[in-house]
Amino acid sequence: MALYQMELKKPHRMRGIKKISGCQRRREWVAGYLFILPNFIGFLTFMALPILATIAISFTEWDLISPPKWVGFANYQNLFRERVFWISLKNTIWFTILNVPIQSFLALFFAVLLNKKLKALTLFRTLFLFPWVCMAVAIGLTWMWLFNTQFGVINYFLRKIGFSGVNWLTSTNTALYSVLIVNIWQYLGWHIVLLLAALQTVPEELYEAARVDGANGWQIFWKVTFPLISPIFFYDLVVNMILTFQIFDLPFTMTGGGPGHATRLFNLYLYQKGFLYLQMGHACTMGVILFIIIIIATYLMFRFMGRKINYLTS
Amino acid sequence: MNPKGKTRLKNIGLYVCIILILLVYLFPIMWQISTSLKESKEVFSDYNFIPKKITWENYRVAWTQFNVKRYLFNTIVVSFAITCGTLVFCSMAGYAYGQLNFPGKNILFFLFLSTLMVPVTVTLIPAYIIILTFNWGDTYWGLIMPYFFGSALGTFLMRQFYMSIPKDLSEAATIDGAGYLQIWWSIMLPMSKPALMTLGVMTLVLHWNNLIWPLVITHSPQLKVLAVGLSDFRLYRTIQWNSMMAAVMIATAPMLIILMTAQRFFIKGIQLQGVSR
Repeated sequence: MALYQMELKKPHRMRGIKKISGCQRRREWVAGYLFILPNFIGFLTFMALPILATIAISFTEWDLISPPKWVGFANYQNLFRERVFWISLKNTIWFTILNVPIQSFLALFFAVLLNKKLKALTLFRTLFLFPWVCMAVAIGLTWMWLFNTQFGVINYFLRKIGFSGVNWLTSTNTALYSVLIVNIWQYLGWHIVLLLAALQTVPEELYEAARVDGANGWQIFWKVTFPLISPIFFYDLVVNMILTFQIFDLPFTMTGGGPGHATRLFNLYLYQKGFLYLQMGHACTMGVILFIIIIIATYLMFRFMGRKINYLTS
Repeated sequence: MNPKGKTRLKNIGLYVCIILILLVYLFPIMWQISTSLKESKEVFSDYNFIPKKITWENYRVAWTQFNVKRYLFNTIVVSFAITCGTLVFCSMAGYAYGQLNFPGKNILFFLFLSTLMVPVTVTLIPAYIIILTFNWGDTYWGLIMPYFFGSALGTFLMRQFYMSIPKDLSEAATIDGAGYLQIWWSIMLPMSKPALMTLGVMTLVLHWNNLIWPLVITHSPQLKVLAVGLSDFRLYRTIQWNSMMAAVMIATAPMLIILMTAQRFFIKGIQLQGVSR
């Protein structure tokens, strides 16, 4: 910092030599390219090339052992005819439709609750982040224990208040919702922190002004607060949607897709296609389809909700 | 009642309310701690929150029998190597994008940034094959290299930071005869410590917890990271839940400690992701 201040004190010296020679400019170019080079090599090798390769492999039949065979659109046709593919797609869309609004609105509720001048706010925020910072695999195992039909503590509580135990993870009716509960629980804190940051940018005077005008708490929230944080809330919804579509760790650990196909979510099925059945062509085709779905869903969210957000903020 | 007393009462009510919510919210983690300290016969018989007899035996079983020792070592090696690489290469690239001028800068940057939306599984299989062709399958190299050169988000965060530093500063240093590498190393890096901390803790947590890539790239037991090693328990018929919870504790405690000691950098990291877009 001392250096920074020192440099600012001598602008007169720089103004004199502002003209940068062509040689020096070229030196800056070279330096620029060299500085981004490692980063860019990583990008080309593990991002750009694989994206193109995935599209290419999706047109082949390949088990990793024998050389890939070009099959045109056969993978796409076969997948669209496959029952489990549609089940996994349906599961994932249903999971996302439930997860995103529940998680984001619940987070909004808690963020509003926490958005007071509390001395222990830092501590509360940190505690809410606890599940987020733990690995999903570990979280999955802990909840498997809680959900255990015979010895799990949740069923114990249920029995105690007169209900019968639920086969949380072993029944086709409830398994997907059990994973959903865990997912909502794990990432709730992340969304709370994000939305809390947005709430704290709302200037205090606006609340005062609204209160003077006689608005009650509910009105203040929906007429003053929410419009101001709606861009970030909207961003939160979009990111949440993109991430929920890709859920893998929890179903992989907790259910492996079962019972039946109840929790066979898209990415899990993709992984199983690739590394269990060694159908690389099918797996890559699913990757391409997933990408297209996410792009379409993002576009739709911007089309139908983005406009409202702009209207609210202007 | 006077207004001051009223707000005070309101505040106490709020505190009680939040603490109750937190108790419910964190109950799974508390139950996990409780189970990890119980003796086997108590695990299946009682639902006491405080164990009748606290035992550390489960941690010993997890540490040696479940081989969590080895998994922990691998996880530390891999996640710290990736974090170091990310810090160096993202700050280098961020400096170039944020402070230097060169043709095609913006196109290259947005090309890079556009990959933020790409799902992991889209690049998974080709990346796996690329690693195999380098002969890095089932090695530390294979675990580390795909993430070693930095992430799009990291470069973005660093660029945002360096853009906020006035260019006069480095221009003055150039005139004084400093090379770009020297400017980056001795002026830019020390100034960007908070940004580096934020990027560092976020990257560390992400790769400490990463499952799918290590799952795909490693097979041998000596190379398993915690996420892969723990996920193996799904294959067991009967699970010793108390030792299992001890293993879970060992796997998650380091990140919880880092969260508690560096919480403001985590908060900053999450906020930046929201505000900057």
